[in-house]
Amino acid sequence: MTITPERLAAFADGELPEDEMRRIEALVAADSGLARQVAAHRELRHRLSAHFEPILKAPLPDHLAVLLARPDLQVVDLARARQRRDSRRGMPRWTWFAAPALAASLVLTLMLPTHDKREIPQVDGHTYAAGPLADALNEQLSAIQPASAQTRILLSFKDSAGAYCRAFSGKEQAGIACRDENGWQLRKLIGGAQVEGGDYRQAGSEDAALMMLAQDMAPEGALDAGQEQAAKARGWQ
Amino acid sequence: MEGKELTESFESLVLSIVPRLRRFASGLARDGADGDDLCQMTIERALVRRDQWQDGTRLDSWMYRIMRNIWIDETRARSRRSETFVDEEAGIAVGVRGEQEVAVEIGNVDRAMASLPAEQREAVLLVMVEGYSYKEAAEIIGCPVGTLNSRLVRGRDALLFLLGEMP
Repeated sequence: MTITPERLAAFADGELPEDEMRRIEALVAADSGLARQVAAHRELRHRLSAHFEPILKAPLPDHLAVLLARPDLQVVDLARARQRRDSRRGMPRWTWFAAPALAASLVLTLMLPTHDKREIPQVDGHTYAAGPLADALNEQLSAIQPASAQTRILLSFKDSAGAYCRAFSGKEQAGIACRDENGWQLRKLIGGAQVEGGDYRQAGSEDAALMMLAQDMAPEGALDAGQEQAAKARGWQ
Repeated sequence: MEGKELTESFESLVLSIVPRLRRFASGLARDGADGDDLCQMTIERALVRRDQWQDGTRLDSWMYRIMRNIWIDETRARSRRSETFVDEEAGIAVGVRGEQEVAVEIGNVDRAMASLPAEQREAVLLVMVEGYSYKEAAEIIGCPVGTLNSRLVRGRDALLFLLGEMP
């Protein structure tokens, strides 16, 4: 009996039903010509996947890395993308870790909860957290927080001056606050996470941008759960 | 906070797929830089249309489908703009040049892949590089499994010939 090239390729790929796999296996075993073809198919697969393998391990180019942390998404056509690429030439290449500089440009003006009529304390021109945000910054541990929390603490860390800082993400605003003698000073804010219907848009990318900002501010990295708990016990001082 | 959790997991899922998307894009576009542009457009469109992805279905297949559609649209738009679709350089003129020259050229997987018709190339990429089953690849392309199977065979026969691995 003859085997069509389609059948033989499907056999080499293990794509046939079990009984047919067995039948063709017997035919291949008895025919060195068929066996060579099957081997060639498998060798080709191996060669192709090896050829394309390096790209999986290559570092992501800057414009792709930043993409998932960028709220101003725009679908463009390839011609424009190419123009953009051309215009990028000659500029210093950013790396993945240089992304915080870009993310910093995302930091917008302070967005305050519209329903919160309380005064936001200002000391020496700095803005401090108040109300539920201050409570969350004081009380919530990033490892243990209710899913229903209005404000989520993304991580805590010590800045280069040794002050405790916490990246937070809430419905109306997200940012990084650092503790000083007056309270939680809002150092970075990214606003406008909420869209119509109470749903979120690009909130994930804001979080990602925040994480990158935090990375930039935290020479020692994030606190682990134990360190965070100890810092809370000391009143974040 | 539920919406938030979903959004986050969507973005991190996308991020985890990006290396594979780049691989597929570089094969489709036949050029690493064009591939990255294709990849960028795919990610952007996926983020904008995230509501259309059904939770519980494979995000990677959904994104491959988006990428393939963008690529086809771009290819059409480009040929409408009367740009050359295949660079002359990328073609392979087997038998036209001297034996040695041909041997050097056909040793190149990229050139061999580039010489395949688009429909065969995507079939080869999805199954033999991306590792999709015939059924999954056919779903991404939107064709019957039998069609995928025959495109795949024609594509790999051509590759075996071009790469000098014909049994």
